Amino acid sequence: MYSDRVLMQVRNLTVDYVGDHSVARAVNGIDFDIREGEAFGLAGESGCGKSTVAFALARLTRLPGLVSGGEVRLNGEDVLKFDKARLKAYRWNEVSFVFQSAMNALNPVIPVSEQIMDVIETHQPDLGAEGARKRASELFDLVGIPSRRLDDYPHQFSGGMRQRICIAIALALQPRLIIMDEPTTALDVVVQRDIIEQIVELKGRLGFSVLFITHDLGLMIEFCDRIGVMYSGELVEVAPAEAILTNPRHPYTRALGNSFPPLIGPRLRMEGIPGTPPDLRSLPEGCRFAPRCPHAMDVCRSVAPELRAYPELRSEAACHLLN
Amino acid sequence: MIYILRRVAFYLAAFFVAVTLNFFIPRIMPGDPSARIIASFQGRLNDAQVEAIRASYGTTGSLWEQYIGYVGQVLRMDFGISTVQFPEPTSSLLFYGATWTLVLVGIAITLAFLIGTMMGIHAAWNRGGFFDSVFTPINVMLNAFTPAVVALLLFYAFSLQLQWFPLGRAHSTGLVPSWDPQFIGNVLYHATLPVLSILIVSFGGWHLGMRNVMINLLNEDFVILARAKGLSDRRIRYRYVARNAILPQITSLALSVGFLLGGALVTEQVFNYPGLGKFTVTAIESRDYSFIQAQLLLLTMSALVANLLSDIANVILDPRLRKG
Repeated sequence: MYSDRVLMQVRNLTVDYVGDHSVARAVNGIDFDIREGEAFGLAGESGCGKSTVAFALARLTRLPGLVSGGEVRLNGEDVLKFDKARLKAYRWNEVSFVFQSAMNALNPVIPVSEQIMDVIETHQPDLGAEGARKRASELFDLVGIPSRRLDDYPHQFSGGMRQRICIAIALALQPRLIIMDEPTTALDVVVQRDIIEQIVELKGRLGFSVLFITHDLGLMIEFCDRIGVMYSGELVEVAPAEAILTNPRHPYTRALGNSFPPLIGPRLRMEGIPGTPPDLRSLPEGCRFAPRCPHAMDVCRSVAPELRAYPELRSEAACHLLN
Repeated sequence: MIYILRRVAFYLAAFFVAVTLNFFIPRIMPGDPSARIIASFQGRLNDAQVEAIRASYGTTGSLWEQYIGYVGQVLRMDFGISTVQFPEPTSSLLFYGATWTLVLVGIAITLAFLIGTMMGIHAAWNRGGFFDSVFTPINVMLNAFTPAVVALLLFYAFSLQLQWFPLGRAHSTGLVPSWDPQFIGNVLYHATLPVLSILIVSFGGWHLGMRNVMINLLNEDFVILARAKGLSDRRIRYRYVARNAILPQITSLALSVGFLLGGALVTEQVFNYPGLGKFTVTAIESRDYSFIQAQLLLLTMSALVANLLSDIANVILDPRLRKG
C-alpha cells in the first residue's frame, strides 16, 4: 500500500500560543514521519494540538500561534525555513488542505468554478483561463459532480457535495500530501462513508499521502495506515493502525479506544476517561497523563517519559509502564 | 427576481401608508392653510373668493373627497401652491431644493463610503499596525462630532477668515445653470465646504464598519483556505474578504440616506445652501404647510427608494438571495 520512503519528516516540532502574560506550549517537540502514499492519522481529544500541528506543516500558523522550534523536512528541505517565493510554490503544489466544515471552507459569494480556477491560474499561469477551466471540469468528474454545475454557488450544493468540491480543489495541482482536518465530522454517517471511500479510491489512483486528523478513532483505524496519538501537545504513541486497535501500548490510547463502542459483539458499558486534559499553562511534572492514568506510578509523577521504539511491535510509545 | 418584485410591492404599500398618514396628520391639527390665507385678508374677501382659495388648497368637500383628491395630486407629483410663496407651485420649489441637496449629499455620501470603506479594508488587513492604530481611533473620534460643529468651524475658518471659499449659495449669481465645465466647476467650488463638513463626520462610520466585519471574516475557513492555496494577498483581501464584508455595508448605506438628508439640513443652514433642508427650515418658520407636507413625503420616498436600491444591490452581490 505504501512505500518506506519518507515524504515528510517532522522533528522536534514546537508550537506556542503567545498571550499577553503567558505562553502556552500547544505542541511540545513532536517527531513523526509521513511516508509516500501513506495515510497517517493524528488522533486525540479536542485541544491536544492535532490541528495546530496540521497548520504548522502547511505554514498557516498565525499569531498568537508561533512555531518556536523544530524542523519539517519535505524531501530534505526544511519547510519552516522557506522564503516567500519558495513558500508560494510549496503551497497547494506540494501540500493542500481539506477543512472540517465544507460550508465555511468555500467563499459563499463567488462561484465554485472561480475557487478552483484561481488556484490553478495562480500556480500554473501558462495554462490560461481556458486550460484552468478544463482542468476544473476534469476535477469535478474526478469527484463525481457533473461539470455543468461548475458555475453554481456553494449554497446550491449539499454538504456532501461541498466536501467533494473541497477535495477537488485540494487535488487541483496534484500535491504530494493532503492534510485533512476532520474532513467528515460535519457530515452524517452515510455521507461520511461515501466521502471516505472516495478519498481511499483517489488515493489509490493518484498516490498522494494523507495526514488525517479526527477524534473518531474508529474511522481513523479503518482509513489510516499508521496513527499517532496525541495528548496535551505530545505524541504518546505512534503505531500501525492495526496495532492501535489490537495492541495499544499506551494507557491513553487504550482509554481512547475504550471510549468507542464496538460495532459487533456484546453491549459494553462505555468508559470515558475520567478527568480533563491539563491546562497548558500549568502542566503537571512528569508524565502529562499521570493525573488521569489508572496505572500511574511514582516515577510517572516526576520523570517525563520519552517516545521509545518497540521494533517487535513496529510501534513507538512514551510510557514508563513499558520499561 | 421574485424577491425583487416582493420588495417593490412592499415599498409601494409602505409609500401608500406614508401618503395616507401625511394626509391625515396635518388635518388632525387645528386650523388649515387656507384659513390662514383667508384670515390674512382680514374679511376683505367675498364668499366666492373664499371658496376659490379653499378649492386651490384642497380644503373643500368631505374628508374622503379631500383624501381622494390628495392621492391623485401626489401621483401627479402636484403638491399644490405654496402657502407662503403664493402663487409659486410647491413642486417647483421642492424639486429645485432637492436637486441641490442631491448634489451635496450625493457627493458626500459617495466619497464618505469609498474613503471609509477603503480605509477600513486597509486597517483590517494590517490590524494592529501603524495605519490601524493611528487612523482607527481618529476616525472614530471624527465620527462622534456633530455636523453643526464641523460646519461652523469650517465656515468660520475658510469662508470668513481665510476667505478661500464663498459665503453661500450653490453657484455664483449671474451664472445660468447648464452642463458646461465652467458652471460645474463653480458648483463644485461652492459645494466643497458643505460636502467636507458632511464627509468629515460620516466616513469614520464606514471605516469602522468595514474594519470590524473584515476582521471577523479573517478567521473564516474559506479565508484560511485561500491563504493555504497560495493566492496573492491582493486576491484574498478583495475577492475573499472585502467581497463578503461589503454586503452589510450596502445595507447600512441605504439606512444612512434618510439620516443624511436630515443631517444636510444643518449644513445647508450654515452654508446658506439652497437645498431641501434650507427650504424646510424656512417653510417651518413661515408655516408653509404644503411644502412641509411635500418635503416629508419626498424624504419618505427617498428612504424607500434607497432601501429598494440596496435590496437590488444585495441581490446582485449576494447569490444566496437569488432563487433557483
